[in-house]
Amino acid sequence: MTPLGSAAAIGLQAISRIAQLVAVILVIATFNFVLVRAAPGDPAQVMAGQSGASDPKLLDDLRKEYGLDKPYFVQLVSHLGRIVRLDLGYSYRQRRPVVDLILERLPATLLLTVTAFCLALLIGTALGALAGLAAGSVLDTVFTVLSLVLYATPVFWLGLMLVLVFSVTLGWLPPFGYETINVQLSPIAHALDIMKHMIMPVTSLAAIYLAIYARLMRSSIIEVAQQDFIKTARAKGLSGTRIVVGHMLRNALVPVVTVAGMQAGALVGGAVVIETVFAWPGLGRLTFEALLQRDYPVLLGIFLILSIVVIVLNLLTDLVYRLIDPRMTTGAA
Amino acid sequence: MSESVQANAPVLAVDRLSIALPKGGDRPLAVENVSFEIKPNEVVCLVGESGSGKSMIAHAVLQLLPRGVDVVSGAVTVAGQDPSKLDGRGLRNLRGGNAAMIFQEPLSSLNPLKRVGKQIEEMILAHQRPTPSMAEVRERVQTLLTQVGLPNPLLLEKSYPFELSGGQRQRVMIAIAMANRPALLIADEPTTALDVTTQRQILRLIDDLRRERGMGVLLITHDFGVVADVADRVVVLRHGKVVEQGTASEVLRNPQAAYTRELIDAVPKARLADIHDTIVRPEPLLEVVGLQKTFRVKRGWLQPPREVVAAEGISLTLHEGETLAVVGESGSGKSTLGRMIMRLTEPDAGAIRFGGADLRLLRGEALRQARRRLQIVFQDPFASLDPRQKVGDAIARGPMAYGTSRAEAMAQARKLLARVGLSETAADRYPHEFSGGQRQRICIARALALKPRVLIADEAVSALDISVQAQVLALLAELRQEMRLAMIFITHDLRIAAEIADRVIVLQKGRIVEEGTTAEVFTAPRQAYTRDLLDAIPGRDFFDQPGFAAAAGARQTARIDSGIDAV
Repeated sequence: MTPLGSAAAIGLQAISRIAQLVAVILVIATFNFVLVRAAPGDPAQVMAGQSGASDPKLLDDLRKEYGLDKPYFVQLVSHLGRIVRLDLGYSYRQRRPVVDLILERLPATLLLTVTAFCLALLIGTALGALAGLAAGSVLDTVFTVLSLVLYATPVFWLGLMLVLVFSVTLGWLPPFGYETINVQLSPIAHALDIMKHMIMPVTSLAAIYLAIYARLMRSSIIEVAQQDFIKTARAKGLSGTRIVVGHMLRNALVPVVTVAGMQAGALVGGAVVIETVFAWPGLGRLTFEALLQRDYPVLLGIFLILSIVVIVLNLLTDLVYRLIDPRMTTGAA
Repeated sequence: MSESVQANAPVLAVDRLSIALPKGGDRPLAVENVSFEIKPNEVVCLVGESGSGKSMIAHAVLQLLPRGVDVVSGAVTVAGQDPSKLDGRGLRNLRGGNAAMIFQEPLSSLNPLKRVGKQIEEMILAHQRPTPSMAEVRERVQTLLTQVGLPNPLLLEKSYPFELSGGQRQRVMIAIAMANRPALLIADEPTTALDVTTQRQILRLIDDLRRERGMGVLLITHDFGVVADVADRVVVLRHGKVVEQGTASEVLRNPQAAYTRELIDAVPKARLADIHDTIVRPEPLLEVVGLQKTFRVKRGWLQPPREVVAAEGISLTLHEGETLAVVGESGSGKSTLGRMIMRLTEPDAGAIRFGGADLRLLRGEALRQARRRLQIVFQDPFASLDPRQKVGDAIARGPMAYGTSRAEAMAQARKLLARVGLSETAADRYPHEFSGGQRQRICIARALALKPRVLIADEAVSALDISVQAQVLALLAELRQEMRLAMIFITHDLRIAAEIADRVIVLQKGRIVEEGTTAEVFTAPRQAYTRDLLDAIPGRDFFDQPGFAAAAGARQTARIDSGIDAV
């Protein structure tokens, strides 16, 4: 094929790929819309109930104001139309653009989840690799039991226990929040303050993923160790360290990366629980509040952003996967 | 010590070696009291069937035995050193330094995530002292790649193993092994996973390198054809014990042990005199017309798919009671052809006429009814039986699906098991309790349970030891007579095709390049490609009868004919 021809083909592939992404996002948005509407009650009822008046006239007015009186299908179409125009609408309750609300909360959630994810991945794979290399030893048994315990511990319970021990009993760490309020701090002291607040939520969130990656890495290392090319490496006269670093680790990481990529999205789900436990001012809290108030635009906005984050994460996983495993770039078997 | 004595000192001496299996194995000792020597510039073949312990010996030489398998007595000396007495550093220096090893499956033996050049560099860097500069190492890698006959070494160095063909991968393994000019090369079934033409090239390469470098070679094989081509001396193993050893010519021409004779006799060979012309009825049973198939292999998400032509206008006919061999190298499309006839792979175009209908047009129940008359036996008897299903069930399920009662189907299954040479009680056991050859018999029984008219055997004996292969082939020949079966025998091994087939089709890249009766194809091949394939049959100089086609440009390969190198 001529270079020009292949460039055109690549361009065509890229366009079809982007078109696929847009289609996926619209399908997700439709699904979210149906899901949110399937919950009983609507924002008008919640608001009218809170104001103490269940006057049918007020309900009708509120519904008309928010466009809730129109048929579902019309509402769905206008919802999708707004998404195409990149408009997420206004919050019924806070009377502010949904985009602003989300952007305000997103950094705190990203800080929490990204930190937890990186720590879980780094420590989990390191411990798993050690356990796998020493399979059958005391170290391996200890690691395996510990990761099983971590894996079986509910996230919220771990959070509460940490608060009980480190905040209530020992008083070492702040029990909730993102930063100490009402104090003036230098930038460095401020950063340290945030980090101090992060320790417990990150630990609770990371624990279960750390356990998963450790277990996965352990079995992956054990499997790779039995491969023929490890025998080749030994027959080459390479030292143990060289065999592990040069031949085992990268091969063992392939399945871990696959699973980690798939779970990065689930991590955000875990964040909703943790943010509630630790009163962390992130998207998780915002979701929780919007859900109680049936604040449709906020909910749909958050769901949409999270869906896009998951899609982007999957693309990133794909790329990392390709970096690790050259067979993927050309799609050979 | 004078130089001549030095030069004649063995590069490998194995002295009364015994290796124990872990408790619960099928015998206490994997290898018992084995002794042999390899001198410089000498090829010694360790021959035996699977489970004979030949691989164990090779692994013991470099202390690469799996955990739980230990040397219990005897000694190994490699270039004057006993590996078991070396410390970690000494052992690492020996491995890949004075003694290098290559394995059966070159794809899994190379790290899939590392460029080929890096994997060779690593071998040099681990051993050369003082550590050479990167420029020197790169140059050495280029030289090695050229020496092992790989095209375009500059590009190849940057490739990953999956981008190479099987033969190229094995050449890379050999380049790695040669990197530090070893005195001893251990090759553990290095060509078993390759097809005949590639096998010949790799064996020649090993032989050339041996001659150039005066290297001793320990070659492990189950194939006496290979022995006839390359061995100076042969050690025949059975159940871990040496049954016979001697020069290749002594052992091949005048085997002392009955077992050796059995193994040599089991090598499939054309019995041209025995081939009867099957009475060809005017009406073919199966007719394939213009079959077409192109696979589109997806590549990265920004690249157009790659196209592989597996079949291009394939037409063939098959008559009742006839055996048609389909031969070709790997990738020639022979398995795809079998799968298309079964409609396991959908052809792009063409017709498959069977029993008065075009199979390609059949749907639903009509297709199901037609399918029972076409059955297939696959290559890997381990993968093609459900490990959680009893053998009797595996055989009876087919007839039951077509309405036979369970009791009747089970009774028939027992009879079939007896017919294929197993006991009737085998029906109540699970597949893992059987050996490879027995499992293949089970697969044949399963295929026959539906009383097919056409049996497709897709490399059905390729995974079996040669002696077992001979038994299974004999069984198939009997069944063919008995049941008036038409068979399509797909194989890469021309010796098998010659032994069993009435007619032969030679496939290359999805096209039929030659077609004719077995006698025609083997004695007067019209195509250069067919002649190449024939020429590549291991040991053909030794095993073939006169009258066989002499390949154009054939080179003398049989060492037993060219005289044993003076030691």
